[in-house]
Amino acid sequence: MRGLRLAINYLRIGVLNEFQYRANFYIQILQTFIALATGLIGLNLVFSQTNELGGWNKSELLAVMGVFIMMGGVIRSAIQPNMERLMEEIREGNLDFALTKPADSQLLVSVREFRFWQVVDVLTGMIVMGVALSQMNRFISLWSVLGFFSAIVMGAVMIYCFWLVITSTAFWFVRVHEIANLFEGLYAAGRWPVDIYPNWLRYGLTFLVPVAFAVTVPAQALTGRLTLQTWLGALALTILLFTVARAFWKFGLRSYSGASA
Amino acid sequence: MHSVISISKLAKHYQVPEREAGLKAAAMGLIKRRYKLVKAVDEISFDIQPGEVVGFLGPNGAGKTTTLKMLSGLLHPTSGSTSVLGFEPAKRSHDYLRQITLVMGNRNQLSWDLPALDSFDLQRAIYSLPIDDFKRTRDEFIELLEVSDLVQKPVRNLSLGERMKMEIIGALLHKPRILFLDEPTLGLDVTMQKRIRSFIAEYNKRYDATVLLTSHYMADVEALCKRVVVIHHGKLLFDGDLSALVEKFSAFKTVGFTLDNHAADLSQYGDVVSVDGARVTLRVPKEKTSAVTSRLLNDLSVEDLTVEAAPIEDVIESVFAVSREAVE
Repeated sequence: MRGLRLAINYLRIGVLNEFQYRANFYIQILQTFIALATGLIGLNLVFSQTNELGGWNKSELLAVMGVFIMMGGVIRSAIQPNMERLMEEIREGNLDFALTKPADSQLLVSVREFRFWQVVDVLTGMIVMGVALSQMNRFISLWSVLGFFSAIVMGAVMIYCFWLVITSTAFWFVRVHEIANLFEGLYAAGRWPVDIYPNWLRYGLTFLVPVAFAVTVPAQALTGRLTLQTWLGALALTILLFTVARAFWKFGLRSYSGASA
Repeated sequence: MHSVISISKLAKHYQVPEREAGLKAAAMGLIKRRYKLVKAVDEISFDIQPGEVVGFLGPNGAGKTTTLKMLSGLLHPTSGSTSVLGFEPAKRSHDYLRQITLVMGNRNQLSWDLPALDSFDLQRAIYSLPIDDFKRTRDEFIELLEVSDLVQKPVRNLSLGERMKMEIIGALLHKPRILFLDEPTLGLDVTMQKRIRSFIAEYNKRYDATVLLTSHYMADVEALCKRVVVIHHGKLLFDGDLSALVEKFSAFKTVGFTLDNHAADLSQYGDVVSVDGARVTLRVPKEKTSAVTSRLLNDLSVEDLTVEAAPIEDVIESVFAVSREAVE
């Protein structure tokens, strides 16, 4: 409960902070617009050649794109900024302040930053999903709604765990900044459902970098493809990844000595 | 009285990779690394009583920061024991962390783009402080440091000294019983140093807090600390009253004069500290001062002869000089 209050406080500070930079808001809208336009053009190009891609039709793929944009917004607003700050602090030895606070250190380093304007992407993603759903003309059951939201949460947690593990390697390697670029590249693959990729890439995107769970699985829920089996698999993997990430964080912390010690 | 901080044979060793300069050495380092053992803190022991303000002195790299980090739970000691308020700092229990604070003069923890007031609110959340207590303490500190017109400005618009005041307020909002202050006045001008100093003294008095302070400014130490602990190369050199330190190590006086010709060998009169043009500064053992000055006046054509007690900086320096001979 205290953790939640802490997170809300940081959220408030993050929002306050961002309101000082109004230009960022307009830049964000422009960025989102460009990303949306290129995404739609790509989708139309594909469907000018074919009516189906790996078993997904056009409006279903539009739903995937919606989830992709939304999850991208979640990652760039709440996950990536925290992890980048953490990398920076490990490198410069400033993590000391976070570690001398009477709060769970993992929680503290995970909630300190929030890029509010990235929420534009979250909203845009939702709108795209809404359009896709209306095109599909499907009855949406309570189960698919619950499935969708739980899949989104699990997907975000998995991406967070992935980032935390990678970031924690900074305790030993100090310079891991290139990781952020690498992640962006891999995440871009989530634009399409992972079933269209060759096996090796599909497994990579499922278990190494959990993009499949972050985008494809929630989209499966939206399009009525989510099986109980997949959902349970996602749950198990979320718990496993979280346990591993936490253990790894604590392990890294033990070897932390402060850059200027 | 029970001591609040108790350190016994505390040591911290590091394995530091070692290589020579140059590309070849760097490439070899990829394959096989050589390590060197560095004893940053080498079996030091001391106790601090409640309410004491202790100056923790030593040159750069003496092990002060490493010791402070071990006391605040950031580093695990290699050996030895530490006990602060009955806690083992390395365990970082929340009950312990709630009662201490760490201020580092060269680093800041306040949000750069926000007014300090917002960052203070965050501290409240982190320490779960009751709102009334928090406001009372905050306003008390703001008044003491006279910063009521600054707390609403984004921290980035403040001067270095103003920012340090905010850092200190932020670090003390939870009213810690133990303060670890690492160079809190670093880089500040004299007036600002004085303000920070008197604030620390006031906090110590009002809340009966225990303070362990490192500083390169001897004025800080003279003003705040009755007792000093001196370490060098990780070893404890001196632990006692500041006045005793001066007494013990200030065995020298500084003799300055202006010389017409440079031919003479000055080292027969004392240690040559500096030669700046015609101006010469010598360090002379206290008991020989009068003999040396009369010899100087007889032997050479000197002008503007002055004799001064060694400044406390030099006293500290001579402590390190003496110990270096003793250690090596």
